[in-house]
Amino acid sequence: LLLLLLLLIILILLPGPAVGLQGLGEGAEMAAGLPELELPELPELEPPELEPECRRLLGAFAEGSAALSGCLARRARPVRLCQACRGHYSTLLGLYRDIALGNSSESHNCAKSILTSDRLQVVVTLSEFFNETWEAANCANCLKNNSEGLSNSTVEFLDLFNKSLTCFEHNLQGQAINESPNNYTEVCKNCNGTYKMLNDLYNNLQKLNRHGSESGHSAHLCIDVEDAMNITRKLWSRTFNCSVPCSDTVPVIAVSSFILFLPVVFYLSSFLHSKQKKRILILPKRIQSNASLVNIQEKYS
Amino acid sequence: QFTPSSLLRTGQLSNVDLNEDVRELETELPRPYPNEIPHNEKLLSLKYESLDYDNSENQLFLEEERRINHAAFRTVEIKRWVICAMIGILTGLVACFIDIVVENLAGLKYRVVKDNIDKFTEKGGLSFSLLLWATLNASVVMVGSVIVAFIEPVAAGSGIPQIKCYLNGVKIPHVVRLKTLVIKVCGVILSVVGGLAVGKEGPMIHSGAVIAAGISQGRSTSLKRDFKIFEYFRRDTEKRDFVSAGAAAGVSAAFGAPVGGVLFSLEEGASFWNQFLTWRIFFASMISTFTLNSVLSVYHGNAWDLSSPGLINFGRFDNEKMGYTIQEIPIFIFMGVVGGILGALFNALNYWLTMFRIRYIHRPCLQVIEAMLVAAVTAAVGFVMIYCSRDCQPIQGSTVAYPLQLFCADGEYNSMATAFFNTPEKSVVNLFHDPPGSYNPMTLGMFTLMYFFLACWTYGLTVSAGVFIPSLLIGAAWGRLFGISLSYLTKGSIWADPGKYALMGAAAQLGGIVRMTLSLTVIMMEATGNVTYGFPIMLVLMTAKIVGDYFVEGLYDMHIQLQSVPFLHWEAPVTSHSLTAREVMSTPVTCLRRIERVGTVVDILSDTSSNHNGFPVVESNPNSTQVAGLRGLILRSQLIVLLKHKVFVERANLSLVQRRLKLKDFRDAYPRFPPIQSIHVSQDERECMIDLSEFMNPSPYTVPQEASLPRVFKLFRALGLRHLVVVDNRNEVVGMVTRKDLARYRLGKEGLEELSLAQT
Repeated sequence: LLLLLLLLIILILLPGPAVGLQGLGEGAEMAAGLPELELPELPELEPPELEPECRRLLGAFAEGSAALSGCLARRARPVRLCQACRGHYSTLLGLYRDIALGNSSESHNCAKSILTSDRLQVVVTLSEFFNETWEAANCANCLKNNSEGLSNSTVEFLDLFNKSLTCFEHNLQGQAINESPNNYTEVCKNCNGTYKMLNDLYNNLQKLNRHGSESGHSAHLCIDVEDAMNITRKLWSRTFNCSVPCSDTVPVIAVSSFILFLPVVFYLSSFLHSKQKKRILILPKRIQSNASLVNIQEKYS
Repeated sequence: QFTPSSLLRTGQLSNVDLNEDVRELETELPRPYPNEIPHNEKLLSLKYESLDYDNSENQLFLEEERRINHAAFRTVEIKRWVICAMIGILTGLVACFIDIVVENLAGLKYRVVKDNIDKFTEKGGLSFSLLLWATLNASVVMVGSVIVAFIEPVAAGSGIPQIKCYLNGVKIPHVVRLKTLVIKVCGVILSVVGGLAVGKEGPMIHSGAVIAAGISQGRSTSLKRDFKIFEYFRRDTEKRDFVSAGAAAGVSAAFGAPVGGVLFSLEEGASFWNQFLTWRIFFASMISTFTLNSVLSVYHGNAWDLSSPGLINFGRFDNEKMGYTIQEIPIFIFMGVVGGILGALFNALNYWLTMFRIRYIHRPCLQVIEAMLVAAVTAAVGFVMIYCSRDCQPIQGSTVAYPLQLFCADGEYNSMATAFFNTPEKSVVNLFHDPPGSYNPMTLGMFTLMYFFLACWTYGLTVSAGVFIPSLLIGAAWGRLFGISLSYLTKGSIWADPGKYALMGAAAQLGGIVRMTLSLTVIMMEATGNVTYGFPIMLVLMTAKIVGDYFVEGLYDMHIQLQSVPFLHWEAPVTSHSLTAREVMSTPVTCLRRIERVGTVVDILSDTSSNHNGFPVVESNPNSTQVAGLRGLILRSQLIVLLKHKVFVERANLSLVQRRLKLKDFRDAYPRFPPIQSIHVSQDERECMIDLSEFMNPSPYTVPQEASLPRVFKLFRALGLRHLVVVDNRNEVVGMVTRKDLARYRLGKEGLEELSLAQT
């Protein structure tokens, strides 16, 4: 496939220099080169009317991209990109591929006339934007390998996520009856199990992902999962204030001050008990003329 | 205990009249020194000897040089290049080894501690985590410190002062041995893994130097293996050149800065330099970086991607926010001033600490305990800081290696932990590149303060570790703080990117501590891969050096002084013109006659009170007691080889089947000549005569008595001499100038000072 693409690019680019030459041509060289080059180029130079097939492809692409961008925007908060828009995305990907590579001979012309015949290259820019967004969201991570449907672990995670959300909701409703809006102990108690499971599952997924990617840098899960977890965690520890770690300040202070105290003891004891190292002076063998002594003393004063 | 005059008497061998004078003078003058004094900086130790950077041009040498034809010289030249390539490759490999092992071991440690902390955060009992962390640190550092303290003390510290001395011409015992390399490498791994405030970059320079010295000799005396190659290079002059190449390769592997490495060698190390050497050294540096890149790229799974240079890679500074404008130049200069002051403070504190250590903590067990305590305290301080910090940052989108949650909400990490709970290299890179807002000013302030004292306390411990990274880290922390406050003051104007200021702060702090200029600028430029930062970094380093030098000298020079090393600077002290060779030289000189009795030679060599290494050879005139004209100079090592091979006149006359001694015999004994005690000379042999004329250097450098100190100094320093004979107008030996005679004059605070010699 890549080879084909390369070939195509070469094919597209080949007439390019020739056209350039025509513009640049000067003096004798132009006179020599022109007649040969001009003849086969002539039909290309006609004002390019988009062929019907290409027009159809372009229209499809326009609709597809409108649908995808609408989907992306609608699913921006809370983030559900990968689940909701993957159909649109793969459709658009197919359309773009049709334009760029095509399966018939005429689509070669489509690629040229749609993708590369002007400076702006809107279609290319659009498709790049969608690709980049998709990459940044890391959606491939929660889709199956052939990108048909969500992967098993993602489905599992989302199930658990929904379960914990419903758990929160149920218990909050219970709370409302009790009329104590700032007390979430009920939620914390009842949903602890689900939340823990969700949290563990997420951590596991992350660990697996990190091992899979080896370098450890692109350790992101797909954005849907990350965002879901983020929301839950925020609810749990900020809104409900459920995770209250035990702070044991007293033992920590005790232990650390003990450790900090050790060097003081060490230095004091080595100062008091260790024998100071003495150096034995050696008198150099040299002439101690008075002149030099005077010299040195002068310089000292 | 000896009185000084008795010491003198044992030391004298000839020239009675002069000594009478001296003794009278001594008795008249009130004794200026006590006999035994506590260690101080104004001493020169007797244990350091010079290296022979000047070839002994005796007959054997000349014969060999004449035998080598043009083609053979070319082979020698090619061998030099081959050796440089090997130095580069091996240094790169050692750097890789250190890097990979540290990464894995430190990763393991931090994972264990992190799991433990995570566990106890929920249940309570965090004091156990603290204990676990402290114990882990202390035990790892204990191992690292034990091997250094008990096996090879010269491997302690960064090794840069030692290499500097070696290249200056001072023979530091054991400094370029294989054993030192092994201890150094293991020691640095253990001390970094042990969580001390240290880096692994400084020791790389020492490691490179050892590798270079080893390879260029084609053998290892420690392993008792002689590969019979590179025999031509078995002398100090050649070895020195390779050691400078090794040091450069070390820098280049450590920072991914080949040019910086060459310049480092030039600035800090090599006292002797020429243009071919530069090119060869550059070759070695490049090879070293390249090797490191290739191996690390294979290790990280993207083979042949050569873009991860250096043990520490500062990362790329190339987005548009990282540019700088003319308005920022005064700010950078101000940062340089701050760096200079902080660096001077660091050095002054470290000076007192080192003095205390030399005086009181000189027993190896005490040194090990001290290192362990520092490790434990480092962990405790880190833990308490993390514990007290309430600076939480969202975990999403950050590149924290070991995010510690502790008391933060779920999905957030403690920002203080990224600084403390990580290897120092990673922390530096984080400080440079984390997006604005990753640290709050309080965190950075506390971190700077704590790390400053920890790093200062750590440098000089008996572990092998460098000071580059801790300095960079301190500087990066306060630089970032500075950047944040600037950004706050200017209401978030675009040019106050904290990462840039972190870099400048790091440069300022490092410059303030080590006082390097040219090489450090280039190293920083290469490590950041950004040439446009050259100008501000240069300004910052310049200011830091000027401000710092106003208070105290650089850390490495300070440690060289504290070790009482007779180090020769570039120039003689400026006010020393009134001193002449006559006042500087040692006298009387123990001379040998050209045909000398073996017994006399053995006695002179065995005399412990006059541990001389070079002996002027005078015309043999047995019936005169006077000192006769100078004929040459012979070294102790040469005499020992002669005695060992029993090259006596009588034996030659007896025409025993004995081959002539060749230069090779001297080389084979190099560099560890046996002590005189190990050479057995029978009573009969003592009566034999030994003819030195073939082995002595017949053209030693001499100066007249009236030559001024700067002139003597210049000759001595520029030629890398070891002995300089002072003669009178009849070419008779009156004195000898050695390194210690010159190094004892130093420009102090109140003018010219004279250091005293001491036994250490």
